[in-house]
Amino acid sequence: MVDAARQPLIEVKAYTEVERVEGFVGNFKVTLREKAKYVRADRCNGCAACAKACPVEVPNYFEMNLAPRKAAYIPMSQSVPLIYNIDMDACIHCYKCVEACGALEAIDFSMEDKMVEEEIGAIVVATGFGHFDPTPMTEYGYGRFPNVITAMEMERLNNSAGPTRGSLMRPSDSKSLRRLAIINCVGSRDKRYNSACSNFCCMYAIKNALLLKQMIPEMDISIYYIDIRTPSKGYEEFYDRAREAGIKFIQGRPAGITEDPDSHQLFIKSEDITLGRVVEHEYDMVMLNQAAIPQPDQNHMSSVLNVAQSPGGWYMEYHPKLRPMDSPTDGIFFAGACQGPKDIPASVAQGSAAAARASRILHSDTWQIEPTVAVVWEDRCVSGKGQACGICERACPYGAIDYTKGISAEVITAKCHGCGACVGECPHDSITQLHYTDAQVLAQIRTLLAVEPEKKILAFRCQWCSYGGADLAGTSHFEYSANERGLRVMCSARMDADLIYEAYRLGAGAVLFSGCHPQDCHYITGQIAGAKRAARLDKMFARMGMNPARFRTEWISAAEGDKYARVINEMQAALDAIPQDELKAEIERLKPEMEKKLSKLNQIPGVEEAMIQVDFIVSEMQNKAVPV
Amino acid sequence: MSLPVNSKLAEQVKAIPGGEMLMMCFSCGTCTSKCMIQEKLEPAYNPRRLIREAVFNLEDMAFNDRTTWLCSACDLCYPACPQKIHISGVINAVKQLAVARGRQNPYQTAKVDESTCVACELCVEICPYEAISLIGKKVPFRGMISMASVDPGKCMACGICNAACRSTSIRLEQDFNDNLVVENLWGWLESEAV
Repeated sequence: MVDAARQPLIEVKAYTEVERVEGFVGNFKVTLREKAKYVRADRCNGCAACAKACPVEVPNYFEMNLAPRKAAYIPMSQSVPLIYNIDMDACIHCYKCVEACGALEAIDFSMEDKMVEEEIGAIVVATGFGHFDPTPMTEYGYGRFPNVITAMEMERLNNSAGPTRGSLMRPSDSKSLRRLAIINCVGSRDKRYNSACSNFCCMYAIKNALLLKQMIPEMDISIYYIDIRTPSKGYEEFYDRAREAGIKFIQGRPAGITEDPDSHQLFIKSEDITLGRVVEHEYDMVMLNQAAIPQPDQNHMSSVLNVAQSPGGWYMEYHPKLRPMDSPTDGIFFAGACQGPKDIPASVAQGSAAAARASRILHSDTWQIEPTVAVVWEDRCVSGKGQACGICERACPYGAIDYTKGISAEVITAKCHGCGACVGECPHDSITQLHYTDAQVLAQIRTLLAVEPEKKILAFRCQWCSYGGADLAGTSHFEYSANERGLRVMCSARMDADLIYEAYRLGAGAVLFSGCHPQDCHYITGQIAGAKRAARLDKMFARMGMNPARFRTEWISAAEGDKYARVINEMQAALDAIPQDELKAEIERLKPEMEKKLSKLNQIPGVEEAMIQVDFIVSEMQNKAVPV
Repeated sequence: MSLPVNSKLAEQVKAIPGGEMLMMCFSCGTCTSKCMIQEKLEPAYNPRRLIREAVFNLEDMAFNDRTTWLCSACDLCYPACPQKIHISGVINAVKQLAVARGRQNPYQTAKVDESTCVACELCVEICPYEAISLIGKKVPFRGMISMASVDPGKCMACGICNAACRSTSIRLEQDFNDNLVVENLWGWLESEAV
């Protein structure tokens, strides 16, 4: 950190919050709130005279509130930059610090928060993780029993710069301890709190146990665990060393801790699963290895940065295997535990990777993006004709569309991710997506349904999940009906109602509307838009009197090949259950309604020309001139 | 309730309400260390082991396991379980299956006194396990009457029906009968008085 602060090309902005992020890759405009420190950075030399003079003491959050600090403070002695700070919530305005500072005149009570706007090329988010507070788990008595502490408190208690200057002692009577228990998975792997595994706590418990064993060799240390996870290089050897050093590993999650109220001794009853019986042991102190959870303000920051969150609340990466350090927004990268709990080696690796990815942007004059971006037909956009609309702007999950009444909508190409949500939503068909234009998708639908359409199941798949699911079903040799015809678009949000009307107009037997699970959507809120539209269509088709077996909505992930095959087979069975004459009569009955809905289809630029060619191919197919 | 007989034990347990989450168990042992029956009554009592037996379809082991028959469904373990498995629900499901296979509960269940039961339905209403129902039965000297009947597959021997019955027609016979409870109560009161 000191090296980073000394490097002339690195500017450390401590005590500063990100208020707003605008712009796009290479051209971000970031609004920062430089919070008032009430100490002038250009004058303070870090002499600590103000802190010595300050009469106010409050708990120091850096010491897990185990030690006090002054109202004029730095959180720890290695703070970078070494500039003191006055905590205005605690300050009593006695101005003793001003006196103590003397001729330096660094203390300035008139300072105010300053808003600064910076032009930024790339952003690396490295906000880390928060800690689960075990107080709600009353069975472990944290907060009630003084000798039950958390892992972070233990970290301060045995730190040579910590509140006890490194001598480990019990909080209840300041005596040294002989018997220590460490309980793993406190709040993690627990469906009541956080169902995920926190990744590093097994190794962390072993590290702490070995460290304490080295400090106090006669100490008796037990680790209660459900499973010990040592997946990385050298970790299993470290676990071996711990067992060799005499640390006891007890497989069994304790249901609770009891305390002797006089001596504050703690008792843990647990099942020793490997021994097959219930054992009870007495301890002087218990350390709870609590879960790693997202930072408390992670929800807020995700809306500031406009990046999505995974189910656990962590920031969602672009791709879990191939692009784990990229956010779905170009130019924003993740490093470390803000993207998911991880240990130091993994955080460092991800940080270096993120820095390398960011430097690609900083060293480029131009930036290549995916070619599937949205384009507005300005002559068709009703906003340009003076009507109020703005549907595309509201549909865009990335804020890539500018809408001003009276001017046709404008796509900021560098921000566009090519989901096609705007194309799916636009009621006037005045916006399209390159490589997935209406003409292109309609051409695919017509050729797929050229022959015996009433026997076909037309499956709309999203690029990221259900297409991958279908792919997996194929590579895994899961058999499904050969009457399925798949059609790929980027997102379920792109699955325009017109496309589905067209399928039914051509007489498709059944249509599958499929995409990602809501938490997996690669376009932040694309799936939500798709799901809404699918529900709307479902209702409409029911009103038209369409057989419900002919339209189905399913969310299928890329790992669910079996589900894809099952859904298609179920749809085939449902389609087979409809008598042929009934199905044909229904198709004929609905055709005029679909045609009515598609009356303006040929006005979409490119469609008419494309359809002339497609109709030729279709007629060739129907005459068996080309293979079906 | 008809139970599927030919499928595997785990599948059957999952099919019975309360046993749905069976496969989520990762054998952490929290339930066993929370259990009062294990602590006070039966050191070999082990709900975790029973769940494991059910997961691996070990029917005979599960049906012979005393854990199957001794659970009082106090549900101390349920809120402690990190996987939110309704453990007493699983045990109850195993027990129902055991009874359906003709196993006898080796421990006591509530017994109805045929000569005094008046079919007032107090016990039917109060039983937390829905183990009691009214049946018609021909009884010596009383003829065909309506009376309470206890399903041994559902009874947890909690004794609530015993306490509720106004004609002392339903009771636990062995370990916690009225006399024993009163004796214990006197003994406790005397020791407190000292």
